[in-house]
Amino acid sequence: MTATTTLIACPGCDLLLKKIEAHPGKKLFCPRCNTVLLHKKVNSITKVLAISISGLLAYIPAIFLPLLTLHSMGMSQNGSIFDTFLSFYHQKYYFVAVLVFITSVFFPLLNLSLLFSVSLQLKTQRYSRSLPFLFRTALHMDEWGMPDVYLIALLVSIIKIISVASIDYNVGFFCFIFLVFMTRASTSALDPDTFWKNIEQIRSDSSRGVDDAR
Amino acid sequence: MMPDKATAMKAGLMSCHDCGKLLKTRETVKTEVLTCPRCNAELHFRKPHSLTRVWALIITSVLLFIPANLLPIMRVDFLGTIESSTIMDGIIYFFHEGEYFIGLIIFTASVLVPIFKIIGMIIILLSIHFKWKRGLRHKSAMFRFIEFIGRWSMLDIFVIALMSTLVSFGGLTSTIAAPAATYFSAVVVCTMSAALTFDSRLLWDAS
Repeated sequence: MTATTTLIACPGCDLLLKKIEAHPGKKLFCPRCNTVLLHKKVNSITKVLAISISGLLAYIPAIFLPLLTLHSMGMSQNGSIFDTFLSFYHQKYYFVAVLVFITSVFFPLLNLSLLFSVSLQLKTQRYSRSLPFLFRTALHMDEWGMPDVYLIALLVSIIKIISVASIDYNVGFFCFIFLVFMTRASTSALDPDTFWKNIEQIRSDSSRGVDDAR
Repeated sequence: MMPDKATAMKAGLMSCHDCGKLLKTRETVKTEVLTCPRCNAELHFRKPHSLTRVWALIITSVLLFIPANLLPIMRVDFLGTIESSTIMDGIIYFFHEGEYFIGLIIFTASVLVPIFKIIGMIIILLSIHFKWKRGLRHKSAMFRFIEFIGRWSMLDIFVIALMSTLVSFGGLTSTIAAPAATYFSAVVVCTMSAALTFDSRLLWDAS
């Protein structure tokens, strides 16, 4: 039992190392393959809770309100993030449509909601059976949610369009920028190790509670 | 400095893929699925069938990469004249227009990144098969870089999505997607899945 608590295995190369506590804000690297072993962050749970709430507030206007309005030759046209998914869908590019939907609409929402629910449960010290599963899903989601890539694509499109039409920036555009910043902030404030330790703690406490009740 | 580089596997310890918890393994339970007591994820010494799956995904993405670049990815209908353009056509257009920076971003995201991912993964896979022990540290760094850049190849797909939504003025000007969009997004999915399925610890097992 002692061996597993005093040692740590590098996730990149499986090297066994002595466990050292990292100073808050500092990173520990594996001496063999240079993978980050630990990156301790200050007040991770509280920060993630706050960031996920603000991200969720901006979510609906960011995805469903029009981003830009174009004026060209007496006509105008606008579109939201959700409309871009619909446009692929109407053009019968179903695979691309589903991928766009997942990466820019569904996973950002899922990721923020999962982080919100996990950090709220940890903050209020409540354990539900699904807690480890929810957090695991949130960690796996992170790779496939791409609002930040979408933002760069939006800037590229603006440069493409600006020569042929005049552009009005709508509320959705600013909400979307805010949403992107919040998703990036949640990733950088997230310290999985602290979360797992808290989940383990709450889990053992709650199971002890059940035994006492019996 | 420890003289022997002991790995967790040699010491009979397993670390959880999902939460990193280090666990002792009992050799008796081989048939049933082991799960992590902390996060309930399935436990393995190494990700199961990692190499086979990564080879399959990489070969698939090489095959899909060919139509993704040869077929048109976007069609622009300007006053009835339809013009199709491939990924490279789009990039060349930007360079002609003098938008070098944007051209460079698109070129990096949709040409350099997929090629780099595919070649990089092939080098890593070959070095595991032939047990090359040189430059493992650099290969690890390269793998982490491949993991990091993977999602940025979606850039061009999002640009097409935005263009076809916003630039549609009825019969005057409209932009629609073309077949390569499907192939290209499939390349992105395959290469990203390959990076996620690959277990970088296999690189170090031979040393």
